[in-house]
Amino acid sequence: MSERRSQLFGVMGEFSTPEDLLAATKKAREAGYKHVEAYTPFPVEGLSEAVGFKWTAVPLLTLAGGLGGGLTGFGLQYWVAAITYPLNIGGRPLNSWPAFIPVTFELTVLGASIFAVFGMLALNKLPQPYHPVFNVERFAQASTDKFFLCIEARDPKFDLAETSRFLQSLHAEHVNEVKDEE
Amino acid sequence: MSAQDFRAPESVSRLQNGGIVVGGVALLVAIFGAMKSPADFYHSYIFSYMLILGLTVGSLGLLMLQHLTGGIWGMVIRRPLEAASRNLWLMLVLFAPIVVGMKYLYSGNDQETGWLNAPKEGEHALTSWQQGYLTQGGFLARAALYFAVWIVLMLVFNNWSKQQDQESDAEGLKQKLKKLAAPGVILYILAMTFAAIDWVMSLSPRWASTIYGFLFVAGQAIAAMGLMIAVIVLLAGSEPFNDIIKKRHLHDLAKLLFAFNMLWAYFAFSQLLIIWSGNQPEEISFYRSRLNGQWGVVAVIVLLFSFAIPFLLLLSRDVKRTASVISKIAVWMIFMRLVDLYWMTRPEFTPRAVPTWLDIVVPVALIGLWLGFFAMNLKQRPLLPVGDPNLSEVLAENEH
Repeated sequence: MSERRSQLFGVMGEFSTPEDLLAATKKAREAGYKHVEAYTPFPVEGLSEAVGFKWTAVPLLTLAGGLGGGLTGFGLQYWVAAITYPLNIGGRPLNSWPAFIPVTFELTVLGASIFAVFGMLALNKLPQPYHPVFNVERFAQASTDKFFLCIEARDPKFDLAETSRFLQSLHAEHVNEVKDEE
Repeated sequence: MSAQDFRAPESVSRLQNGGIVVGGVALLVAIFGAMKSPADFYHSYIFSYMLILGLTVGSLGLLMLQHLTGGIWGMVIRRPLEAASRNLWLMLVLFAPIVVGMKYLYSGNDQETGWLNAPKEGEHALTSWQQGYLTQGGFLARAALYFAVWIVLMLVFNNWSKQQDQESDAEGLKQKLKKLAAPGVILYILAMTFAAIDWVMSLSPRWASTIYGFLFVAGQAIAAMGLMIAVIVLLAGSEPFNDIIKKRHLHDLAKLLFAFNMLWAYFAFSQLLIIWSGNQPEEISFYRSRLNGQWGVVAVIVLLFSFAIPFLLLLSRDVKRTASVISKIAVWMIFMRLVDLYWMTRPEFTPRAVPTWLDIVVPVALIGLWLGFFAMNLKQRPLLPVGDPNLSEVLAENEH
């Protein structure tokens, strides 16, 4: 642990119920903090709205993946059956579109799900082997039964003493500084 | 939670009056039409009847489904579903014209005989199985059976739910409702499958499809869920629902509408794909009359406006959560059910797809009356199941 070379990442308050965390998150946002992040062992209803999460590109990426997959699926079959290797099958038209739908559908689902999963991972930068919040020992409990609210140092309103006091005023059970090691 | 009575607002009374007045006037005009051109009247009647039947038994199906699955989405629409299912009495009365007009419906068209007038022997005769099944007596006896199944289920689910309001062993009743819901859903689907075969598929007795009943069940789920969304948005306009219904309730209901729409499209496409691949003369007749000429245009309209466009719109989360938008889509999808039923039935009688004036008047009459009686039923009981042990979950939802 090289204390000297580390810099401050933020201040983290610990809560023992999701309701306390939700209330604290709302108050922090109301107080004007923008770079606020909450950590919980399970999804908490309303929390993503409370931390100010509004928009993500994942649905758009998924749509693009789905459209791409669907067009590829239909296009491939059309190209093969109607252009490069036309065969008369039972007198049906070469562009026998109902027969192309199942593969088109499958590739739409495949394209959409690949884009959704990898788009999500690319955008949230997971997997992340290192994150400063893990430097706080008590944070291990974020995956069992404690709820954490971290106000980050890059927030324009951030002030170590002020923000720590603010978290205490929200009835955080513990308030820890989060160090980011270089 | 204090005992609230959750009375239906003024808007429900307006729906009742409006529905009965508009429906009543249209019915008089329709009766005039029935005397002038009975064949046109019955051809309009059959698809309009199937739509309002869908609203009724579709709601009965959803009512049982939500008892089976639980969840807040079911609690907020339970009373409207019950009110819709109580319209089964109206459906029983309105079945009479189908019985009276059987010879206009099941006697085929210019090219082919129907099952009522099919020759007993020769190349145009029906199979011996069909001759045993498709008889006038059998048709009536089975119709009585289907109505008996639905009405018994409707009475039991409505009465137990009413008893629950009076807090006599609410938890026990909840379990009983849940236990009956599973066989109830199966019975509803079985009865609906046979009803769809008897009343609609037998319009073309030489053609058969095994997914036909499910096509109706999925369509009815769309119609009933569409109605529920529209009703919830109407109720949320005033006390007491204005601060009970939240965006998340609409979101849940709209997701189900979206799912039912995809289910319907899946069934409809499965039928097309199998018949297309098989390419058998006796199977393909259904699509030959429906995918060519004027009916081909209607087929494209159904594909685009009943499936593709609602599908793309309902992908969006914001669309599903915005009351003014989702209610319009819901009503639109009920209307498209009507167009789809028109496309399912009418090509059996004529290659002309342009509606007659009776195709406007008869649906308006039946839908108007249906909504009027529905609103009347809705006023009879509290808008929420006040005795349900989980009611507090619905109300607690508002607190944050």
